[in-house]
Amino acid sequence: MARYGMALDYKSCINCKACESACKEENGILLGADNHRIWVGVNEIEGLFPDLSIGSSNFQPSQCQQCDNAPCQSVCPTNATYYDDNGVVRVNPDQCILCTYCMQACPYDARYIDDRTVTVDKCNFCSDTRLIHGETTTACQATCPTKVRIFGDLDDPESEISQTLRDREHYSLKAHLGTKPKLFYLT
Amino acid sequence: MDLSKLVPFNKHTVRSFFDFERSALNIFMFWFSMGLVGMMLAGIGIYLIEGHHAYGVTRQHAWGLLIAMYVFFVVSSTGLCIMSSLGHVFNIKAFQIVGKRAIIGAIITILTGFAVIAFEIGHPVRMVIYNVLTPGLTSAIWWMGTLYGLYLFFIILEFFFLNNANHKFSKIFGLAGLVVGLAAHSNLGAVFGFLVARPIANGVFFPLYFILSAMVTGSYLLFLIYGWRYKMKFPPEVKGFMVTLSQVLGLLLAILMFFEVWRALTAIYGHMPERGDIAIHMITSKNFLIGEFLLGMLIPFIIIVWSKGRAIKAMVYASITGMIGIFFMRYDLVHDTQLAPMMPLKIREYSLPPGLVEYIPTATEWMISLGAIGLAFMMYYAADRFFNLDHDPEESH
Repeated sequence: MARYGMALDYKSCINCKACESACKEENGILLGADNHRIWVGVNEIEGLFPDLSIGSSNFQPSQCQQCDNAPCQSVCPTNATYYDDNGVVRVNPDQCILCTYCMQACPYDARYIDDRTVTVDKCNFCSDTRLIHGETTTACQATCPTKVRIFGDLDDPESEISQTLRDREHYSLKAHLGTKPKLFYLT
Repeated sequence: MDLSKLVPFNKHTVRSFFDFERSALNIFMFWFSMGLVGMMLAGIGIYLIEGHHAYGVTRQHAWGLLIAMYVFFVVSSTGLCIMSSLGHVFNIKAFQIVGKRAIIGAIITILTGFAVIAFEIGHPVRMVIYNVLTPGLTSAIWWMGTLYGLYLFFIILEFFFLNNANHKFSKIFGLAGLVVGLAAHSNLGAVFGFLVARPIANGVFFPLYFILSAMVTGSYLLFLIYGWRYKMKFPPEVKGFMVTLSQVLGLLLAILMFFEVWRALTAIYGHMPERGDIAIHMITSKNFLIGEFLLGMLIPFIIIVWSKGRAIKAMVYASITGMIGIFFMRYDLVHDTQLAPMMPLKIREYSLPPGLVEYIPTATEWMISLGAIGLAFMMYYAADRFFNLDHDPEESH
């Protein structure tokens, strides 16, 4: 029993998209622009040449924020979206009726329709492929060449993620909505 | 067992069922309805082959025209139920003639709404099963769906007792249908109002507005139903009802415009991101200005005010523009809610950051959505043939 979260040292991201590829490969995500569990957001460089703001250009890898108070879970009419024992927000494809209300409710555009099961799919921190076997990594984290991602148990004070979050300033996306995300951006 | 003793209805052969007056308008409506239903069936065929890929919906705009049409039909149903209850539940004399015709209209429109949503929900059978087995009690969709099911049950019983002239039970189930219908309908507003992620929809507005706009829709439909029933030659009793109805509609439209003004002002004031900008886009769009405002509110309102509610024939025609306006209200409700992209950083190489999310309904969506109107026409024709929907002045309420 754990409470998994992820910290992102996003300023180290080089937008190589290895994480996107690893996620697709690991979880068998179908090809197509809309079919993605994770993505790399791009803050374009601001200003006009030659007065360019170098600091404005950065990359923001993102995915489902694994909210502790997930809007997608509370709007699900059949409880197909649920919190598992590790605090991961997951979808039971047998119960999903594909009303796509969760896609409306998610503030992060983290959900999409999986044509394999014809239900809504999302990032589950590789629960099916890694966590279930006792591994405590995710495909995106393991593949990242610049070690942007730190994955671990937020309830374990000795875990790397807990120590990092104690030591470094961080923020969460759209935290004002009260969603209590478990993805943290390190500044 | 003779079914007609339990539920009085007119017996028909196939020939007598289609034996309507062969006027140009009737023949046009017959083929028009047949064409629409044919279109719907073709659309359903394409959907069954291609699934949601036949629709223009995307990851960022997951709800499209079919959701708008579902809302259109269920708002019509609740509207007819509320307006008819003014007569046989609240005993307002002028409205007492509308009972059966409005309730059968309410049953037909909600069944049509369910028919449309069945091709939008990916797994409608699974929905029925898990709605019961693992109910999501914090979900507005669960409450809306469950209450609408109950509402349909009550108004069918209401019609049954109205048809049997049992006014005690028709009143009881009429009241039950009204209360549950109002709850279901405001929950439909809450489906949008509960979206904390979407500031343009989030809040108390939609649950209240849905009830008000349902009453406006119900009034337009009553004009159309009675205009069609009497082919513009209204008996005095019906004339009196329609004058009262247009006066009530005038008041409702005034309140609706008042609501819209304050909604726009509160949304724009302060220019809050994903709210102020979206509201400005909304109220400056042709859909709003021409569709919602001009057709849906202004034209009927001017006719009512100008004639002091007495131009009932003009109001029947204005109800056609009114219903077109109502369609735009439902479409805009669904579309505008999804205009703001949820993750503005999500861009691809060599592309501009996303502005507003775009959506264009596909031919399949139009076929199913507009075709459903033909389905409603056909069901109404059948109901009109099988049941005596006119008010019997001898009956006391």
